[in-house]
Amino acid sequence: MARDKIYLEEVFPSPFMQHWQIFRKTPVAMAGFSCFIFLIVLAIFGPILAPHSPVEGQLDMLLLPPAWHADGNVSYLLGTDELGRDMLSRLMYGTSLTFGLSFVVVITSLIVGVVIGSLSALTTGLKSSFLNHFLDVILSIPSLLLAIIIVAILGPGINNTVWAVVMVLIPQFIHITRYAVKEESRKDYVLASRLDGASKFRILYYSIFPNIVDRIMSQATLAQSAAILDIATLGFLGLGAQIPLPEWGATLANGLDLFYIAPWTVYLPGLAILFAVVATNLVGEGIRHALKLRKDR
Amino acid sequence: MNLLDIRNLSIELLHDEQRILAVDKVSLSMKEGEVRGLVGESGSGKSLLAQAIVGVLNDKWHVHADRFHWRGVDLLRLSIAERKVILSRDIAMIFQEPMACLDPTTTIGEQLSEAIDEQSLTGFFWQKKQQRNQAAVKLLHKVGIKKPDTCLDSYPHQLTETLCQRVMIAIALARRPMLLIADEPTAAMENTNQGQIFRLLASLNQLKKMSILLISHDLENITHWTNTITVMYSGQFVEAGTTEQIFNKPLHPYTKALVDSSPSANFHLPAKSRLMTLPGSIPILQHLPIGCRLGPRCPRAQKACVIAPTVTNFHGHKVSCHFPLLPIKSSAKAVKSSAKAVKGAC
Amino acid sequence: MTTLLKVDALSKSYRQQGFWLNRKSTTVLSPISFSVEAHKTLAIIGEAGSGKSTLAKILVGAERPSGGSIYLNDQLLKKGSFKHRCQHVRMIFQDSGTTLNPSLTILQLLDEPLKLNTSFDVNKRKELIRTTLQKVGLLGDHMNFYPHMFSGGQKQRISLARAIILQPQVIILDEALAALDPSLRSQMINLLLDLQQQMGLAYILISHNLGIIRHFSDDIMVLSQGKVVESGKTLEVMNNPQHKVTQKLLMNQNFQLKPNRKTR
Repeated sequence: MARDKIYLEEVFPSPFMQHWQIFRKTPVAMAGFSCFIFLIVLAIFGPILAPHSPVEGQLDMLLLPPAWHADGNVSYLLGTDELGRDMLSRLMYGTSLTFGLSFVVVITSLIVGVVIGSLSALTTGLKSSFLNHFLDVILSIPSLLLAIIIVAILGPGINNTVWAVVMVLIPQFIHITRYAVKEESRKDYVLASRLDGASKFRILYYSIFPNIVDRIMSQATLAQSAAILDIATLGFLGLGAQIPLPEWGATLANGLDLFYIAPWTVYLPGLAILFAVVATNLVGEGIRHALKLRKDR
Repeated sequence: MNLLDIRNLSIELLHDEQRILAVDKVSLSMKEGEVRGLVGESGSGKSLLAQAIVGVLNDKWHVHADRFHWRGVDLLRLSIAERKVILSRDIAMIFQEPMACLDPTTTIGEQLSEAIDEQSLTGFFWQKKQQRNQAAVKLLHKVGIKKPDTCLDSYPHQLTETLCQRVMIAIALARRPMLLIADEPTAAMENTNQGQIFRLLASLNQLKKMSILLISHDLENITHWTNTITVMYSGQFVEAGTTEQIFNKPLHPYTKALVDSSPSANFHLPAKSRLMTLPGSIPILQHLPIGCRLGPRCPRAQKACVIAPTVTNFHGHKVSCHFPLLPIKSSAKAVKSSAKAVKGAC
Repeated sequence: MTTLLKVDALSKSYRQQGFWLNRKSTTVLSPISFSVEAHKTLAIIGEAGSGKSTLAKILVGAERPSGGSIYLNDQLLKKGSFKHRCQHVRMIFQDSGTTLNPSLTILQLLDEPLKLNTSFDVNKRKELIRTTLQKVGLLGDHMNFYPHMFSGGQKQRISLARAIILQPQVIILDEALAALDPSLRSQMINLLLDLQQQMGLAYILISHNLGIIRHFSDDIMVLSQGKVVESGKTLEVMNNPQHKVTQKLLMNQNFQLKPNRKTR
């Protein structure tokens, strides 16, 4: 047929691609997004790229200031701490601990939360309420306190910190998923596809998930910045990552005694935490902004 | 004297550094005590036109007109503030979804007394509250609400859609407007309730000599209630005349199609026969055809239609078409004159 | 003519939430019986809250009736079995904007009922979708579009395509024409009439536009508060309404110009 292909030159962006195109046109969000990608790359390849070992110190290079300082040394770009460990390498290793772990934490709690949340939305009555609220108990305790309790039982360590933060984040995902799924199921197209004979899980997977994925992603960015702060705080308090580990919060706490002599051991990890949180929030803000613009159209 | 006289009003939209003529040189005039219907399908710019008259369009839209007279006053010469004063005093508007237009968290009574003019209250300040209340009850009486006291104390969600629309009309009446613009006041209503609202509007027109501009997408719906009708299509003026002229002797192919497509207007049609209809659908704002925008769908379209036609007047029956559906004698003349116009334009 | 759909004493009542002794039930539909033949259209009219939408939902299977039975070609339709029912009874909703999933293409949307109810392979399904789209006046190319790229009238056509793609026998139109502009509405009516002739469809039309009903339907049924108050041939009922409710409904439809200027 001759008329068959008259629209071929046009592209048909799916709603998700549209979302991405709006996102791409927001410069601030794109800046945040590139920083986010940079941090992920660093979290994965940091250990390979780092010039020195983060744990073993050079005893002749104690408290070396950063390279731009008059007494600095170019091979130790960001200086060293009181044991002669290279700050740059410590921060790079720290990326995979603080940022990388928080990313893993968010993904884990997202998967668990979304599964429980959608089950809760599909069931009714007592079952639904139970699934929705059984983890709410956790919300009654502040996340730090909860982590302290877990650490008090299991002993300090980064593993227990991770579990504590995962537990705290799960209920948020349960609630937002349940709410979003319920809201979507009320729409007519779900009824239409139910009338086609689609099963509950098919509807959930094909009809509902594509429409709520952006909402869950925006919640995930909020959770990510919370997770970064939690892990760093626990490290700072000495309850999370233990001494030799170059976790940003722990590094910061470590340098606190020498703040007057060597301020860079404090402000460098502090800046790293700030950078990671701001980048994450910018991405989240961009997603929400794009979501709003697309709804307005 | 004309109450409202608008000539060649255009509304432009700035979209992605591109100017789109959403409403293209539409003229509209209203006499005192007249009920005029403004008919057009969705996307014809009829609501935009109404909003431009009341002056509530936001900055995205640029409005300009050759003439914009209100009771002999040239509104284009006045400053925006002065214009606002005149318009808010004399023109009121009611909308499609009355529920959405009322504040859900305050009672009807409060919303109604807010609309009552301060100057109409004569007493001292301690008497004012009472007077306000009385005025509100009076207004509700006027719009035919039987239990005004209970209505005053209730919240919008406690009332039905029809009652809410009546309250909206009462709020609109509070300032005793000369002109009421009703933007599809019955779109979401059942038949019986539609009738009620239209009857109320008609009685207000009769008793108070209030002019009404009735906006609707459905020609057959409002013909019963209007004296004159203006038809729009895709932002362009199509045809204006008395209801009778429009309905019985439409000159424009579009109006003809509208009348023919309505099964309730054509009794003689046998059941289940094909209805007359235009092919295709109304163009979207980003892809408007040049010239007469009906062109691609029009059964009578010819080469001349790529140039926008001018308005021709046949005994008060205005039509904007190069090839109107006239009785044979006069149509030859019209075609000649339009052919001249086309040549001139070329 | 053979009877296609037969409804026998169908009723619906809701149990209100409350304590144990305090439970009340409200009746939305008193037992209703009627039948529809192939090639015919049954119109259902009634005021708001008369139970016409509930009736439609029960017929298509979105809600379970409290009592009564529905027979299709003399076979009993089981409650809640979509698999069998959706191949024969389909529905078009009022607002086509919300019945099409915004994140699926038209191809995926139309593919779903085929995937679930037939054993055709991918190419066969695609071919069927293409011909169905052409049948409702769209292009085969439109299958790669997303719903937001269509206008209201086109969306309604896609809903229609989705309804007829399984070759059903009964289509329920729940105010499906109300939200459309007049010229699109008559296009749609023409299309529906053509399809009725070609495929022998039976329609159940729920509408409050009496002009359309007069033009479109063969039989009419007037509902009021869940009861059938009047039924019969459309023209007979319309020309000579017996019941008060029918008279009131007919009175409010204004066919003509203002009476004082009716000069023709």
